[in-house]
Amino acid sequence: MKLAKYLKPYILFALLAPVAMIGEVFVDLLQPKLLSQIVDDGVLPQNMEVILSTGLIMMLTIVAGGCCGVGSSAFSGMASQGFARDLRNDVFKRVMRLSFQQTDKFTTGSLVTRLTTDITAIQQLVDFALRMFVRNIMFLIGGMFMMMQLNVRFGIVVAVSLPLEVLIVVLIMKFANPLYAIVARRLDGVNTVMQENISGARVVKAYVREDSETARFDGANTALMDSNLKVMRLMALLSPLLMIIMNAAVLAVIYIGGLQVEAQALKVGEVMAAVTYVTQILHGIMMLSMMSQSIARASASAKRLNEVLDTDPVISDGEGALCTETGTVEFRNVSFSYPASSGRPVLEGINLSIAKGENVAILGATGSGKSSLVNLIPRFYDAVEGSVYVNGADVKTYELDDLRSRIGIVLQKSELFSATAAENIRWGCKDATDEEVKKAAEIAQADEFISKMPDGYDTKIAEKGASLSGGQKQRLSIARAILKKPEILIFDDSTSALDLKTEASLRQKLRESLAGTTVITIAQRIASVKDCDRIAVIDHGRLAAFAPHDELMRTCEVYKDIYRSQAGKEGDE
Amino acid sequence: MPPMPPMGPNRGRGPAGPHSARINAEKPKNAKQTLSKLLKYIGRSKYLFFMLLAVMLTITLMNLLAPKIQQIAIDTITPNEERSGVDIAKLKETLIWLAVVYAVMAVMTYLQGRFSAKLSQVTVRMMRKDLFASLVHLPIKYIDNHRHGDLMSRMTNDVENISTTVSQSIGSLISGVLTVLGTFVIMLTYSPLLTLISISTIFLTIFVSAKMTKYMKKFFVEQQIILGKINGHVEETVTGYKTVVAYSKEQDSIDEFRVMSNELRKTGIKAQICGGMMGPLMNCISNFGFVLIAAFGGLFSIKGMISVGTIQAFILYSKQFSRPINEIANQYANIQTAIAGAERIFEVMEAEPEPRGGLLPFDHNDVKGNIDFKDIIFGYDGSKPVLDGLDLRVKQGQKIAIVGATGSGKTTVVNLLTRFYDADAGEITIDGKNICDIPIDELRRAIAIVLQDTVLFSGTIGENIRYGRADATDEEVRAAADKAYADEFISRLPDRYDTVLSEGGSNLSQGQRQLLSIARAVLADPKILILDEATSSVDTRTEMHIQSAMVALMKDRTSLIIAHRLSTIRDADKIVVIDKGVVAESGSHEELISRKGRYFELYQTQFAGNKT
Repeated sequence: MKLAKYLKPYILFALLAPVAMIGEVFVDLLQPKLLSQIVDDGVLPQNMEVILSTGLIMMLTIVAGGCCGVGSSAFSGMASQGFARDLRNDVFKRVMRLSFQQTDKFTTGSLVTRLTTDITAIQQLVDFALRMFVRNIMFLIGGMFMMMQLNVRFGIVVAVSLPLEVLIVVLIMKFANPLYAIVARRLDGVNTVMQENISGARVVKAYVREDSETARFDGANTALMDSNLKVMRLMALLSPLLMIIMNAAVLAVIYIGGLQVEAQALKVGEVMAAVTYVTQILHGIMMLSMMSQSIARASASAKRLNEVLDTDPVISDGEGALCTETGTVEFRNVSFSYPASSGRPVLEGINLSIAKGENVAILGATGSGKSSLVNLIPRFYDAVEGSVYVNGADVKTYELDDLRSRIGIVLQKSELFSATAAENIRWGCKDATDEEVKKAAEIAQADEFISKMPDGYDTKIAEKGASLSGGQKQRLSIARAILKKPEILIFDDSTSALDLKTEASLRQKLRESLAGTTVITIAQRIASVKDCDRIAVIDHGRLAAFAPHDELMRTCEVYKDIYRSQAGKEGDE
Repeated sequence: MPPMPPMGPNRGRGPAGPHSARINAEKPKNAKQTLSKLLKYIGRSKYLFFMLLAVMLTITLMNLLAPKIQQIAIDTITPNEERSGVDIAKLKETLIWLAVVYAVMAVMTYLQGRFSAKLSQVTVRMMRKDLFASLVHLPIKYIDNHRHGDLMSRMTNDVENISTTVSQSIGSLISGVLTVLGTFVIMLTYSPLLTLISISTIFLTIFVSAKMTKYMKKFFVEQQIILGKINGHVEETVTGYKTVVAYSKEQDSIDEFRVMSNELRKTGIKAQICGGMMGPLMNCISNFGFVLIAAFGGLFSIKGMISVGTIQAFILYSKQFSRPINEIANQYANIQTAIAGAERIFEVMEAEPEPRGGLLPFDHNDVKGNIDFKDIIFGYDGSKPVLDGLDLRVKQGQKIAIVGATGSGKTTVVNLLTRFYDADAGEITIDGKNICDIPIDELRRAIAIVLQDTVLFSGTIGENIRYGRADATDEEVRAAADKAYADEFISRLPDRYDTVLSEGGSNLSQGQRQLLSIARAVLADPKILILDEATSSVDTRTEMHIQSAMVALMKDRTSLIIAHRLSTIRDADKIVVIDKGVVAESGSHEELISRKGRYFELYQTQFAGNKT
């Protein structure tokens, strides 16, 4: 268990917890023994004094045992919760170091479960191991010891019944676990249909597919019931089988006890004690086997956590870059393909040089690689071949924070956080003044709508901006990037939801206020980019042309195609 | 004691073990009514239910009988005045009886497990089925007004709770009550005095555990809240990871996480210590009971009031007594939670379903496609009307482009035409028939829509296209894909039309998803076509191809196109500019340009200096 190292700082608590638990178990084990004393030395010889004094001893030990129990859970709580915290922090830290290709692989939902449910499962196992595991093991060993002490013959009963019980539990679990996996899959199936019908309700209704969806759901639903029944039928066997063994052992103990009493080798009270012990032992083994399930669950969780912890970030800091220029970007013979995908590379042999303060646009068809191209600049991904240079230095030589602090990128999907509008903008620069925030919002054409919100800049943006329109979200993220005052500003198709008029004003303002900044724009509309200094046309992963609008209109067929489609003049060619 | 199935979120049982049920219990609002509805579901398996009841009754009887026979056995081996040795023959006989009782108990326990599994699964399947059936017929308005996660949790958490409650709690509750009553009676027959003593410790148990539970609840609520916060933080950071990285905010995020993580540790320890006290405390009390019974039992036995075997039996009975009492308290809480969940489920089931429309004969194959909006007034949730007296007439086969600023009500027009929502005033007719008077299914079959947000279903690409028309042949599917320019990329996929989509089609690009939903509309081949900004996220070159396909598709169809982008709609037959809930102006591109109104304004901003 690699995760064991997280328990190290809490080793004292982790040791104290089982010790205290042993104390509690010791007291519990003493009770039948003391009871048998009451019967054999007190009740049968009619000795009141023994009954009362033994009773008093029992009381005292019980209080001591209770204290041990509380102590044990406190120690174990400190150990397991501390363990969980450190583990959680480390996993999250690791997640924050991962590269996109790696987070893409994990998906958000799975990372959330890993950081919450999985860690809770392991924390519970640690707590369990420190207390319940110890408790049951002690019951087993102690109970057996006590029984042997009473009469060696009782040992035979235990020796026969114990392995039988273990065998039954192990067998049933072995058959049940794969069935549980099926149940989990079927449950997923039911949830998927449900989810799709809620979020896709309009489409279901528009194509009048209510009946076929109901049938699809029925199928998933019945399949779930069937697999559930299968596993439950199997599990229904477990408890009666264990009961039979336990009760057979009790019968055997009474019978053997009877013979021993007859032979004067044993007293009645001792037989009673033996009955209690054998029940305790078998109960203990049952609990242990049940625990095997939570161990299985926790080890699955541990595996999932280790997966995260063992993922080394593919993209890491460089030695430190020697910049020879500012605000320049250059692609030298760059090829790129996404790690998981096979086949044709997304970008092939791109050579592109952008000067300081230049206003460059990138245009191309879906999947032509426009977004991938700009993703290489802040090293969201690394080029497979060739190099990308920023300010004259290879991006791989930069410390990541240094590189990214020079670049402001507004993403296709604007991510807002649950905070106020001002806080969302101030994300770009923590210590910006209120004026600076407002100024950035003005440039981004966001000031007007923010001011109209109930609390202005202090309005809380609920649920990642669900209350805002797409255009408003985009403008907020643009303001955020502007506030960062980057040397290179990249718009990754991030003005698409803007109203036409607003976009024009935004471009106007940008040109006025950010004269020295290199601006790279990915856009769909030619009108948005035709005033750019140069336009790079990407076609099937290759650079088709890189020139001003007028030149492209003369020389570039791909560009002319796009132009025609947008002007709408020859739309139905 | 079958272990809980390991899967599925389960509100009823948290990390705190057996006592958490009481901590997490919710209070249903109208328990009685909901319970009777729930019982109706269980009542559908009446036969099974009564079998289960009979089995449980037998188990309880055996449970009561077993200590009694054990007592006889112990007494048999106890030496007394009458005999010094052990009557082995009698011991054997007694033990055989005991074995019979145990065997019956085991068989019955097995049957109980099977019956209750069947009962719970059949019941829950019915509920899921009914819930889903009412869900697909809910009006869009209901779905829009409820959080999707909330609706989902009714299907998952609430149903799951009911399932465990039916399979475990009801059984435990009934057998618990029976055992307590039976044990009480038997204990009384043995010795009223000893009974009094053990009852007093049981009352102590109940009292203490109730107090503790109340106290613990506070910590667990706190723990849930922090866990929720952590959840939110991780989700936000990971979904917005690109942004976090772009702004180099990883360390800030880690610091923030650390604070929450530590908070969780602190409340976790508090909750655990508090919860950890419960076990030893209960143990202490029950051991006290044990001592009291042993001491007083010994005392009474010396006085000859009871036998030694009776002490043994009493110890067993008093254990049997306290276990179900605790159990009953837990199960009662579980049942409450389940009823609260059932209440939420019934709420969905009883929500007013979408009206099925009128009975005026209408065949979607014979639709001509004349659409008329007359003086439509509509507002979402009675707020400021979005449409305020809208008039719009679309003639058969006409291509209408609807333009306007965001929030001007363009999408609302679509919502009304498909009857996702109904107008507050005014009427919409197709071929002169009010759309409220015709069967809603026929109305919708006459219309195909391509929405802003593409919706794809789990399954293959082929199945998703076939959603447009279930009985289409493979060739027809391919032809539709071809027309929508989707065939090209589909053919490049490893399994082509049989490629399985991952969740929500995330293995396709936005543009590709859109092409699929267009192909779906192509396949449906309706008389009326609605394109709601469908082209806005497909890039221009792909869009140019789509446009060509659309021109062909729109031929002989009445088409309503909603888009921001004037270029895609320039060659519509008529352009309708919606502003402030009414049609501000309409006409052909040239007419509107020369009018220099709202349309001209929009046109200017996009194509300024672009007039070649």
